[in-house]
Amino acid sequence: MSSAGLGRPIAFRWSPLVTALAFALPVVFVLAPLAIFLVYSFFSVDQGQIVYAPTLANYLRFFTDPVFLPVFWRTIVLCLSVAAISILLAYPTAYFLTTLHGRWRYVLLMLLMVPLLMSYVIKIYAIRSILGLNGFLNKALVGLGIIAEPSTLFVFNMNAILLTLTLLLIPFAILPIFLALERIPQVLLSASHDLGASNLQTFLRITLPLSLPGVASAASFVFVLAIGDFLTPQMVGGISGFTFGRILYSQFGTAFNWPFGAALSVALAMVVIAAILAGERFGRNRGASL
Amino acid sequence: MNQNCDLLTLRSVSKSYGTVPVLYDIDLAIRDGEFLTVLGPSGSGKTTVLRLIGGLEPLTSGEIRLDGQDISDMPINRRPFNTVFQDYALFPHLTVAGNVGYGLSVRHVARKEIAERVAKALELVQLGRFTERFPAQLSGGQRQRVALARALICQPRLVLLDEPLAALDLELRRQMQEFLKSIQREVKTTFLFVTHDQEEAIGMADRICVMEAGHIRQLGTPHELYYKPNCEFVARFFGENNLVAGTLGETRGEFRAIETALGRLVCSVADQPHLKAAATGARGFAAFRPEALHLAGDGDAGNRFSGAIADLAFAGSSTVATITAGGDAAQRLRLRFPSRMDGSVLRAGETVALSFAPHEGHLVLA
Repeated sequence: MSSAGLGRPIAFRWSPLVTALAFALPVVFVLAPLAIFLVYSFFSVDQGQIVYAPTLANYLRFFTDPVFLPVFWRTIVLCLSVAAISILLAYPTAYFLTTLHGRWRYVLLMLLMVPLLMSYVIKIYAIRSILGLNGFLNKALVGLGIIAEPSTLFVFNMNAILLTLTLLLIPFAILPIFLALERIPQVLLSASHDLGASNLQTFLRITLPLSLPGVASAASFVFVLAIGDFLTPQMVGGISGFTFGRILYSQFGTAFNWPFGAALSVALAMVVIAAILAGERFGRNRGASL
Repeated sequence: MNQNCDLLTLRSVSKSYGTVPVLYDIDLAIRDGEFLTVLGPSGSGKTTVLRLIGGLEPLTSGEIRLDGQDISDMPINRRPFNTVFQDYALFPHLTVAGNVGYGLSVRHVARKEIAERVAKALELVQLGRFTERFPAQLSGGQRQRVALARALICQPRLVLLDEPLAALDLELRRQMQEFLKSIQREVKTTFLFVTHDQEEAIGMADRICVMEAGHIRQLGTPHELYYKPNCEFVARFFGENNLVAGTLGETRGEFRAIETALGRLVCSVADQPHLKAAATGARGFAAFRPEALHLAGDGDAGNRFSGAIADLAFAGSSTVATITAGGDAAQRLRLRFPSRMDGSVLRAGETVALSFAPHEGHLVLA
């Protein structure tokens, strides 16, 4: 009793500070930078100097200039494709993992997560050496006699970006799907069989719908991570693989037009927010939680 | 339905998990249309019996026959049985109607017919208004009834119930017991009900199968099990009982004597030939219920002995006295008598004369 009595005032003294910190960190490190970007997007640049007078010129340029919108849409389509392919590959993998018993399940899951421990840049370099015109993939395909001479289909273009992003981001798709599948109580599958359903019917009517929240989170993870990436397109995209991330990067870097870059980031942030909200919306179980 | 016709028979069914045996050579015949309860403490193998019949687990050896046909290898989704699971196992993403109609829809029954039969099934379990609710929006008792409707809608030959009332509170459990029994009478389907609660078993079953440690100890009506248990385990497990150890003496007609620490007691052996035939001197127990034990009046014949009242426990309509009797080899006995508004006639510490009539006592072999 007495130790609990002593413990309480200390915890009581600290708790407002902890609460304040919990709110302050996201405000300082997430909301504030976003707000600064939003404010900057209404400024302009004149001869390398930022003009602090509010204007809509940046947004006007984004919507009217024939360069930006097509790249914007193309990037969205690219990242949706990355998300779709990742899920098509991750779902069977995650499903297979849940069919394993005991320790093997987690050993294999850990192995699949190992790439996350490696440096991003090193992984991209490794993939570059696989994809190049004289890369491992082309050599293998030629060697096996599948194609006569090295293909340019996946060499420094949009396809290369698609392949690379999918490879890099697939662990982020496996994990939420695996967790959703693992959370489905076995007894529901027994109940389905007991009521006369075949394995396929049980999968389509019970397992799949109950795992959709995991699929939605996986899709929004992969999409958001893919759309924010500028390094991968820069390194494997070549000239034709031009994405919105690269434009953004060039506005802050080479063009030194921060206000316009900020406006483009705001446009990108809108897409990201929409993706997260959509993931959230579909992620919720219909009716109720388990 | 003819209650004397066997619907399902288990023949020397054994089950092991790896090298751990859980069922030893079980023989069991379930009659068409009956309410059979499998009763046993946890770990007795009762749920395993249910899972084997339902097809959730393969047999290790033996066979299961339905109408004389071996169905041991029939896959779970082909067996004409449906299960009410312990925690209901309702599909959380489907509505009540979706859950109840599931068994029909996977069999590609026409949508209109499904709707009609779902409505009827929900009417039967008195949930007609809840069609569009999701399981999470229902109370425990309502979920229970959805699970029952879902199991009944495919008109199974046998409904398997795996401790379905365990999660409900006492009052609701009593209501559900009556409800289950009345539904069973209405649909005339065979129910196999697994429970560890002997009160529940007595209240609902036509017959009870008592299991212990992977064996069936006794199968009979609640009355038979209560008054003619065939072994010490059933005598102790099934209801409160007084068991006094001793050695069997001579048989006289429908009665047999047993020498115990309380002296020579005479008990009924009517309709129990194995007790009449048992060798004199064999170890056994005299068993008599707390309500069969009386304070001895002067004229009482039968089994008389004296004992000291150790404790009195008021239990509402009746009061239970714990009594020490038998001197050195002290036995603890229980005496149950109707409570009185003006208090008990007995006092703790008092020594009293006790008796029970020979026809209210019976014998159990050790």
